[in-house]
Amino acid sequence: MTSTGSVVESVEAGNATVSLGNVRRTYYLGEPVHALDGVSLDLPDGSFTAVMGPSGSGKSTLMNMVGCLDTPDEGTVHVEGRNVTALSGSERAQLRGTELGFIFQQFNLMPRLTAAENVTLPLVFNDAVDVDRRERAETLLSRVGLGDRLDHAPPELSGGQRQRVAIARALVNEPSLVLADEPTGNLDTGTGAEIMDLFAELHAASRTILMVTHERHIAEHAERIVHLVDGQIQEIEQLDSGAHTGGSQ
Amino acid sequence: MKVTESFRISWRAITGHKLRSGLTTLGIIIGVGSVIVFMVLGGAFEQNIAQEIEEGNDEPGMWVHTQQADSGFGDSPFVRAKFFTDSDVAALESIDTVEFVAPSARFPVAQLTHDGHQRTGGFAVEATTPERLEGDVVEGDTFAAEDEIVLTEEATDLVEGGLSVGDEVEISFDGAGSETFTVVGIVEPTSTGGNSLVPTAGYVSLSNYETTIETPDGNQERAYRELIVAAESSEVLDQAQQDTLKYLRSDSDAAQLKEDEHVLKAQTVDDAIDQVGDIVDQLTVFIGGIAGISLVVGSIGIANIMIVSVTERTRDIGVMKAVGARKRDVIQLFLVESVILGAIGALLGVLVGLGFGYLGVSVIGWPMVLPTDWILIAVFIGVTVGVLSGLYPAWRGAKVDPIEALRHE
Repeated sequence: MTSTGSVVESVEAGNATVSLGNVRRTYYLGEPVHALDGVSLDLPDGSFTAVMGPSGSGKSTLMNMVGCLDTPDEGTVHVEGRNVTALSGSERAQLRGTELGFIFQQFNLMPRLTAAENVTLPLVFNDAVDVDRRERAETLLSRVGLGDRLDHAPPELSGGQRQRVAIARALVNEPSLVLADEPTGNLDTGTGAEIMDLFAELHAASRTILMVTHERHIAEHAERIVHLVDGQIQEIEQLDSGAHTGGSQ
Repeated sequence: MKVTESFRISWRAITGHKLRSGLTTLGIIIGVGSVIVFMVLGGAFEQNIAQEIEEGNDEPGMWVHTQQADSGFGDSPFVRAKFFTDSDVAALESIDTVEFVAPSARFPVAQLTHDGHQRTGGFAVEATTPERLEGDVVEGDTFAAEDEIVLTEEATDLVEGGLSVGDEVEISFDGAGSETFTVVGIVEPTSTGGNSLVPTAGYVSLSNYETTIETPDGNQERAYRELIVAAESSEVLDQAQQDTLKYLRSDSDAAQLKEDEHVLKAQTVDDAIDQVGDIVDQLTVFIGGIAGISLVVGSIGIANIMIVSVTERTRDIGVMKAVGARKRDVIQLFLVESVILGAIGALLGVLVGLGFGYLGVSVIGWPMVLPTDWILIAVFIGVTVGVLSGLYPAWRGAKVDPIEALRHE
């Protein structure tokens, strides 16, 4: 276990996919609630970071900050070197579309689109990308073991299969960062383990991953666990998981 | 985001709720359909009148009469007073381009009797000059004497047993005595002027006509409510019309006899058709406008269902925003969806409207006229209704907060 300070040391300058600097976010629900209270955190390229903490600790808010869905009241957020605070709403949308991949607890697939169409949905909003979508979807779905389910609609798929489609969707734009919010929260233990194997593969392929979870055994798949309490980083726990050889250099 | 993409995704949303989408478009179908039906009926009615007027008027001519000055709204009523004197008739006849002038005076008929069979009212007898009937005679000859009558073809079966040349008929006029006439000829329908609501059954000599007026010169002359002025040929019809109007408005007795708010008119058949067309057009647009109210109801239906749709798909909107959809992408998606609903409604409405319109005119026996303008207008309105009713829901969708939306159950 190490302290907050050692994280800063471990980050090589200019090599972070995401960098949070003293981020504060306050909600006013009758009285002010400090969802994030001065959080500084770097996600180095190729790192796999888990965030744990009790409910109300600011996990979701941190996730939204890194995911460019929310902006801080104070402090800075940089994604791929770009200052998110300075971007307009549609610029942040485009940044999400090109640099980020989201994986949710509820899978969040579009119910009326097929698996293949769901996978390529981010490309629909990105006119710049001109690829054979069908081929791209087929490649990605095969990679998550659903090569034969291209034209199935989400309601025809099991929970684990849906989450695999969601993972394929998160990868379709070759993102700099994959964000996962309780990716196994709606799955049974066996299926959850299969999904975590996929995360291990992503990590091995040098993807940068940020995962929020409240389950210790899930968090242990990461290289390090950030413990959040009351909107502050209480501790950053380094895990010496030998399985993850493709982690940060 | 490409528009074709939004069509694909929106179409999926529409077909995903077939019943709901169907009922929503039904509002537009009924709106556009009823407008089209009235346009078809109005167009057919107009065409029918135009044909009837043309059928009775194969010779170039015009109808001279008096109207109230334009009141600024619609058409001005006809004046029943008699201003055109025998001197006017003579003067008009002397115009080079005019072939003949036939004064026309109509007597409403109370009863017609032949061989013990009677027919009561509902038609008129017209006193005029024999020239006017030349060319229209299909049997016998035009009248030469005061007690001779020429019947129209329709009038031959007014009484049981029918009427034919050589028959004697006794006609009693409204508010006047009765006279006996000998049928000397049959004519096909001829120009009867534009303001005759009752059909003309026959024509008699002007010698039966005795209404006089004191002319500006102080003489007593016969005066007529309307004149039929025939042109030498259709080539000089325009010239004849100008000459006639010029005389009427300057030197004529009628110009001095009429009151200030009266206007003397010389209408050709085309003018009359135009005038009828204008009246029918106004009526059609008025009724069509009332039918158009259902379009407003239809568009409220679309707006309503789109708002429901946005609320239902809040989570989907959140997902789309998370994966890179901008506000304008979301607006585009929902606008395309409501435009599709509006456009489909309008297209089906046009088909339904044409179908019912065709059915209607077929039953009545009018000619079918395709209201091309209105079909285009209807489709345009359908798309516009789609845009308008989609604007607010789309805007609501666009401002959905993705963080809230993704938490939405």
